[in-house]
Amino acid sequence: MKPPRRLLAWAVRNLSKMFPSKSTEKREMKHLSDQELMRLVQAGDFSPASEIYDRYSSRIYNFAYRFLRNSEAAEDATQEVFVKMLKHANQFHGDAKLSTWLFSITANWCRDYLRKADNRAKDSEDVLVTLPAPSEFSPDRTLEQRENQLRIQKALTALTPEQREAILLSRYQGLSYAEIAQISGCSEGAVKTRVFRAMETLKKALAGERGGDRCLNAI
Amino acid sequence: MSECDLMRESMPLLLSESLDPARRELSHQHIEQCAACNREWLAYRETWRMMGDLPEVEVPARVRERFLASIPTVDEVVVPFRKRPAARWLAQAAAVVLLVGGSYWIGHRGAAVRLQPTPATINAVAPYSIAESRVLPARSVSPNIEGRPDIQNVSFNDPNPNDSEIGLSFDITSHVTVTGKPTDKSMVRLMRYVLENEDRMSPNRSRAIDWVRATYSQPGNADPEIAEALGNVLRNDEHQGVRIKAAETLNRMPGAMAFETRAALIQALKSDPNPSVRLKAIEALTSLARSGVTLDPAAVDMLRQKASQDDENLYVRVKAAEALSNIHP
Repeated sequence: MKPPRRLLAWAVRNLSKMFPSKSTEKREMKHLSDQELMRLVQAGDFSPASEIYDRYSSRIYNFAYRFLRNSEAAEDATQEVFVKMLKHANQFHGDAKLSTWLFSITANWCRDYLRKADNRAKDSEDVLVTLPAPSEFSPDRTLEQRENQLRIQKALTALTPEQREAILLSRYQGLSYAEIAQISGCSEGAVKTRVFRAMETLKKALAGERGGDRCLNAI
Repeated sequence: MSECDLMRESMPLLLSESLDPARRELSHQHIEQCAACNREWLAYRETWRMMGDLPEVEVPARVRERFLASIPTVDEVVVPFRKRPAARWLAQAAAVVLLVGGSYWIGHRGAAVRLQPTPATINAVAPYSIAESRVLPARSVSPNIEGRPDIQNVSFNDPNPNDSEIGLSFDITSHVTVTGKPTDKSMVRLMRYVLENEDRMSPNRSRAIDWVRATYSQPGNADPEIAEALGNVLRNDEHQGVRIKAAETLNRMPGAMAFETRAALIQALKSDPNPSVRLKAIEALTSLARSGVTLDPAAVDMLRQKASQDDENLYVRVKAAEALSNIHP
């Protein structure tokens, strides 16, 4: 019996999409280093894509989300960063850390996004609407944490994009000033200044909200 | 800048524990002794701690799905072609015209140069094996090691302890270019060697297949040895992308597939874990049948089996059925 022509045409059209991940391959990928996975990608084998995504998507998404304050843009950033990673895999040099390279792509994407006037106008609207409620604390502590989160997010918006990029990479991603300098395309000295100024602004904003030195001295 | 100012600038580094132990110790000593810096330090520390209250946000699952669905195929990843500026071509053409014209003018200013005929001597071409292992006396090797040769697998030996000589063996790699027609046996053998022996993790194997596809799928160039090597790649390579390429390339050289190669395709169709490889194997077998070759009964049986196998991938089943209908319309 001949199969329907429409089904055949559909099957032929979708041939290239049929690369199902094997559980055994997946398990093996877990044991490979970032550099080894990237070597496979550079050879034209995209099967490590999901493993690399699983390793770094959370860090990339959170950085973009905190930087742009927009969950939709953070989603786009995350997807595009990994697509670019595959398309431009040959630009990755094995002696560098994959995380540094991925954050470079992410930071570029975020800067481009903010450069567009339309995005700057709406970028502060989406403030932590999807934060999970921490359940392990008392209601008072939960409320305090919620308030802190909003204060921090608000304080972060007061920073320049350069300062925000530097403090987010330092505080939340644990990157060294040398790595941040590589990502931001500036000197380590400039990173030091940006982080210092960001901390000064945040300190004032957060201490002001909490009643200034009265609170801080009580620690 | 005062010591306190310097101290404040270093406080973020102190918080992220990025200072070396000596500077960390000095900073803490200063903070303990200076009331103003101590206040600053407490404020910095509290700010740093409060920032930790910002939780990690979970990436929505749809982002992963969207990304995996958008993974480009190998063919889509191409180096963009950049048109060279026309001015550069013009400048190059002008330079060539000047050079040729200038040479002609210089050559015709004076009397024509006449060369005395001299008898030509042609040395016999010594056969050179690229896999040769040679023993060279030290006195015939230049003491100046130039060009930083890549010496590997060094071993020291003393074949005859009674004489005063010692030995040092190593593999040395030098850049060799072998040129010839695609159909030259040496070229075919070299290509086969690269296909079958290149390091599995190396991108060279994938590139070799691309090169083979471009060269040996041309009419008149297809060679059974190349097809057999591709069959071996199809059987043995652990990367699905490489196996897919091997099957695709075989699809373009149906006239060169001997029994062993056809057997590799049947084997791939039977047991390759990746359905895309199995699909490409079906395509290659179909192409073989269309070229006028009678398919082996084992191939037809395998196609029938795949078309009716319940737990087989739907696309593979459809493709196998389509192949059978093309073979026996």
